[in-house]
Amino acid sequence: MRFERIRKEYPNGVVACESISFEIQPGTVHAIIGENGAGKSTLMKVLYGMEQPSSGQILFDGQAVTIPSPQSAIDHGIGMVHQAFMTVGTFTITQNITLGAEPQRRGFVDSRRAVAEVDELARRFQLDIDPLARAQDVSVGMLQRAEILKALYRGARILILDEPTAVLTPQETIELFRALRGFAASGRTVIFISHKLREVLEIADEITVMRGGHLVGQTTPEATDEVALAGLMVGRSIAIADRHPAAAAGEVALEVAGLSCLNDLERPACTEVDLEVRAGEIVGIVGVEGNGQTELVEVIAGLRAPTGGEIHLHGDVITQASVRSRRAAGLHHIPEDRMKNGVALPESIEDNLIVDRYTGSTVRRHGLLSPKRIGRFAEELISRFGVRAADSKVPAGSLSGGNIQKLIVARELGDQPLVLLASQPTRGVDIGAMEFIYAELREARDAGCAVLLVSADLGEALTLSDRIAVIRNGRVVARFDDVAAVTEEDLGRHMLGAAESKEPA
Amino acid sequence: MTATESAAVAPPVPGDDREAARARVHRQRRSDLVAAFVAMIVTIVIALAIGFVILLIVGKDAVAAYEWLLTGPFSRTTRIGRVLIDTTTLTILGLSVAIPFRAGLMSLGAEGQLYMGALTAAVVGLAFPLPPGLGILVPALAAMVAGAIVGFVPGWMKAQFGANELVSSLMLNTVLVRIYGYILTEYLTEEGSTSVASAYLPNESLIPTFTQLTGVSFDQANLAVVLVPILAVAVWLILQRTSLGYEVRMTGSNRLFAAYGGISSRRVIILSFIISGAIAGIAGAHLVQGVNGRALLTLSVGTGFTGIMIAILARNNPIVIPFAAFFYSYLKIGGDVMEQELSVGTEIVNVILALIVLLVTSQFVMSLVKRRRLSRLEAKGQP
Amino acid sequence: MIWDALFSTLFLAAVLRVATPLLLAAMGGLISETAGVPNITLEGSMLSGACAGALVGGFTGNPWLGLIAAIVGGAIIGILLGVLHLEFGADPIIVGIGLNLLVAGFTTFIVFSLLGDKSGTSSLGRNLLPTIEPGPLAGIPFLGDVLLGQHILTYVAFLVWAAVALLLARATFGVHLRAIGQNPLAAATAGISVKRLQYAAVIICGSLAGTAGAFLSMGYVSSFIRDMTAGRGFIALAAIFLGGMRPLGVGFAALAFGFFEALSIRLGNLDVPSQLVQTIPYIATLIGLGLFAWRETTRRRRGSGATGQRRRPVTPGADPA
Repeated sequence: MRFERIRKEYPNGVVACESISFEIQPGTVHAIIGENGAGKSTLMKVLYGMEQPSSGQILFDGQAVTIPSPQSAIDHGIGMVHQAFMTVGTFTITQNITLGAEPQRRGFVDSRRAVAEVDELARRFQLDIDPLARAQDVSVGMLQRAEILKALYRGARILILDEPTAVLTPQETIELFRALRGFAASGRTVIFISHKLREVLEIADEITVMRGGHLVGQTTPEATDEVALAGLMVGRSIAIADRHPAAAAGEVALEVAGLSCLNDLERPACTEVDLEVRAGEIVGIVGVEGNGQTELVEVIAGLRAPTGGEIHLHGDVITQASVRSRRAAGLHHIPEDRMKNGVALPESIEDNLIVDRYTGSTVRRHGLLSPKRIGRFAEELISRFGVRAADSKVPAGSLSGGNIQKLIVARELGDQPLVLLASQPTRGVDIGAMEFIYAELREARDAGCAVLLVSADLGEALTLSDRIAVIRNGRVVARFDDVAAVTEEDLGRHMLGAAESKEPA
Repeated sequence: MTATESAAVAPPVPGDDREAARARVHRQRRSDLVAAFVAMIVTIVIALAIGFVILLIVGKDAVAAYEWLLTGPFSRTTRIGRVLIDTTTLTILGLSVAIPFRAGLMSLGAEGQLYMGALTAAVVGLAFPLPPGLGILVPALAAMVAGAIVGFVPGWMKAQFGANELVSSLMLNTVLVRIYGYILTEYLTEEGSTSVASAYLPNESLIPTFTQLTGVSFDQANLAVVLVPILAVAVWLILQRTSLGYEVRMTGSNRLFAAYGGISSRRVIILSFIISGAIAGIAGAHLVQGVNGRALLTLSVGTGFTGIMIAILARNNPIVIPFAAFFYSYLKIGGDVMEQELSVGTEIVNVILALIVLLVTSQFVMSLVKRRRLSRLEAKGQP
Repeated sequence: MIWDALFSTLFLAAVLRVATPLLLAAMGGLISETAGVPNITLEGSMLSGACAGALVGGFTGNPWLGLIAAIVGGAIIGILLGVLHLEFGADPIIVGIGLNLLVAGFTTFIVFSLLGDKSGTSSLGRNLLPTIEPGPLAGIPFLGDVLLGQHILTYVAFLVWAAVALLLARATFGVHLRAIGQNPLAAATAGISVKRLQYAAVIICGSLAGTAGAFLSMGYVSSFIRDMTAGRGFIALAAIFLGGMRPLGVGFAALAFGFFEALSIRLGNLDVPSQLVQTIPYIATLIGLGLFAWRETTRRRRGSGATGQRRRPVTPGADPA
């Protein structure tokens, strides 16, 4: 099977895939790796008929095919295990597996035969499931096995797995890999999407690396190693600025002690994290995505409930405080997914800029919001932060991604915050905006702000941070106080868990 | 909404010539407004045309009917009065749902709030003789409180348990309308009365009618009509100039953004329901203290829903709501006149209004325009 | 005295009679809600069916043609909802409000235009769908005077109840309906056409509500009366929620509503405030709704959030923004 110059441009102008061409051999496990937003999920959606390519084609055995819908993909023998499971909670595992392809007798589901068939299939592929349990009651691992069986039940010859190990325990991962190898050995093709390098090296026969919608490399596990892959995946960071270390750091502004929390799937995301950020320093948190950094920031910001531990802001306990009181205490936040909760796209730039101060006197007069004051405030921020907008009344959704990020940075850094949580502050923005945001973060730090920076870009973390902590599986596994002496390779080893195994403590 | 959509299509702005960009955006904004206005007119014309065709099909003199429909309300002062009465009631009801709608909450409880407001105004007006001025104000305020309490219930259920506000407000309507009927029948209807209705309120509690003031008969139209601009501006102020209004707008626009900014959705839900109920309560007071002078068993078959239609037509814009209410009331009275003169059912007006609402919510005209625009663009793009 | 009245066979027969349209409409609404289309047009579909049935039945003199017209009249409302919601993306609730108003206006208008009488179609003469005669079994207590001798559509309603229960539990079609309602994306990725099934659901819903309308105008009352549904569509909607969206529960909820309505009619004669009795099922629904939602939130808080989202149809391939 072969992709030929696949290009996908969304109606909003985002190009998710640009001229992707490669081949996948039958009977192999083919890994596609890349950061979030690299275009791998989009490419798979195209293959599974959930998206239509803007140009280019997909070939099976040299024949060009069009895949207008998931049903058509299924007919072509393609099965997909989605990252967010496609299960119906109140249905049994059997019903979920057979959904849309149920064995029937005169219009009715032949449930006895369905259970028998599912049971037989599960045995054949050694995927342990309980056919009669309800999907909402079983473990995530079993749900995933059910999803795999769902594809196999439809006779899938090509099995796509999108980030399959993100939700699995190590034991479940081992079993999954054994099953996947079994499929490949039986002549099926497995497409394995991941950003966990170690797993990819373990399972894949071939590896395709994507970055920013482009195919940037193809290799095999024998010909590469984790460090080389990480380099390909992340790309050399552009040397846009030298390091500007902080002067002396001040008092502890933000302290996190023994903090634990769960992720959306109710699994532990962070476990007993201890952190300290002093006034006038930037502390970087690095880690492979999905290792708890997102949740950690959400807990500190007050958007997610902790299951244990404490958060101190200038010595005051804010563990249970509301978002508003945290903000009032000077805790600001550049969110990771700006389109999700960083802006209200249909609303004006003005309304987006005042969300943390609409009760304050800068924008009010006579007890009401004052359009004049809001306008003046917004125009000032727009020009100070160079947001490219015609005026402050256009909807935020009319701005480009980089300008939306500038808008958020303007809001969060507009008046000197005491503590700033900056999650992926430059993701997806152009170099100009990136440089600008770097300068702003430094300026805020130099003015005494305590910055907690979470970045997937190791170059960015190394350039900006005064101290760095590495997070893996929800725990801080390494801390570096002298960032100048640290290399990306050092960080990479700790992120991947290679350091501990090589240097037993 | 349409204005923002097409503004979003505006090309990226080069930083240097901001003035030019600003001018372009302003032009764009104006043309979007014009386009939205034209779309509205086209929608109304389509609906009127469908109504016309229906009249032709059932064999009526459609031309004469439309003549009465469109000029009838001005043919007598009493008819003008009735337009004013309905405009007042429907503006108040439309405004009452605009706030929860803006917060993305589907409140259908206006009906029950109106009935409770009417009941409370009647009870307070009958039970406490008050001097003029206070006599009008106190029952009306009591009606607002009653409406607010009624509004609170589905709001609280939503905020506390996440109970579907649509269903709970609907259920509450039925309960309250029946309780209203019970209290009216059992306690307020005087013995020997031929119909189910309370006694007339004392004069001090009645809102002066234009008939009393001018000597010309304007039916029961009364000074409550001044509430139309006052409440419209008040709701506009709440939405645009107060913290709560800002919270309501942001919550309705992007709930996650609101949470991130520290806005409490509980507060937004409960307060917007309470305010909504209070406003709807005023509509009840208007019917009792202004229009009927007493509480009647049937106040408004489906008026609550008509108010919702008004809000939808006006796209929840409080300044537009009075115009939408006037438009509806005008057609409604025109329809009544048409029926009297030609025996063509006035209900054709409801059909026309419903058609307009359906066309508006499905963005029928706009999507046609957009499709044409798109196909023109595509045609240009192809060499 | 009240208790005697309650357990008289006449009263129980009345419960079945009053519950018939509620049961039919609630089963229709259940199918639509199950498929993920919130449907508040039950009221409009019933009214449309009642009017179409009475008119066609009255003009042709054939009540069976009237019944067909009623089914079609209800289904048309379902189709309109489907087109506006599924093709134009309009909010189903707002469309529902609009359609209800449209039907209320149009039925009165058309009756007035055709017959010159605004109140209804009584000038067309009596025109009833038949009641099943108990025959020789009439003498048997309970069976004879409660279960037998009911209107034909009452039996249809109970058959529909059983059929819907079976359909949703076992039939492929019904299982797919449940799937698209609970997790449309899961259904779509499994190759099920969400839109087609939702069309089927709203059309079935409209047809059943139309049948309920036929019972109103051709069951015991022999003509269409303006606004004769009088909120029954919303009662049916309440029954769906009170019954926890399960066929068995919804059916019993509809019967409960019928019981209280019959009770209020009965107690009205006995000088007990009928309006208050009528509120009981609504208050029960309110409490049930609160409890149901409360249970859901606590369950979600405890975990098992892994499975898909409910409601709001999502079509794959749509704009990812």
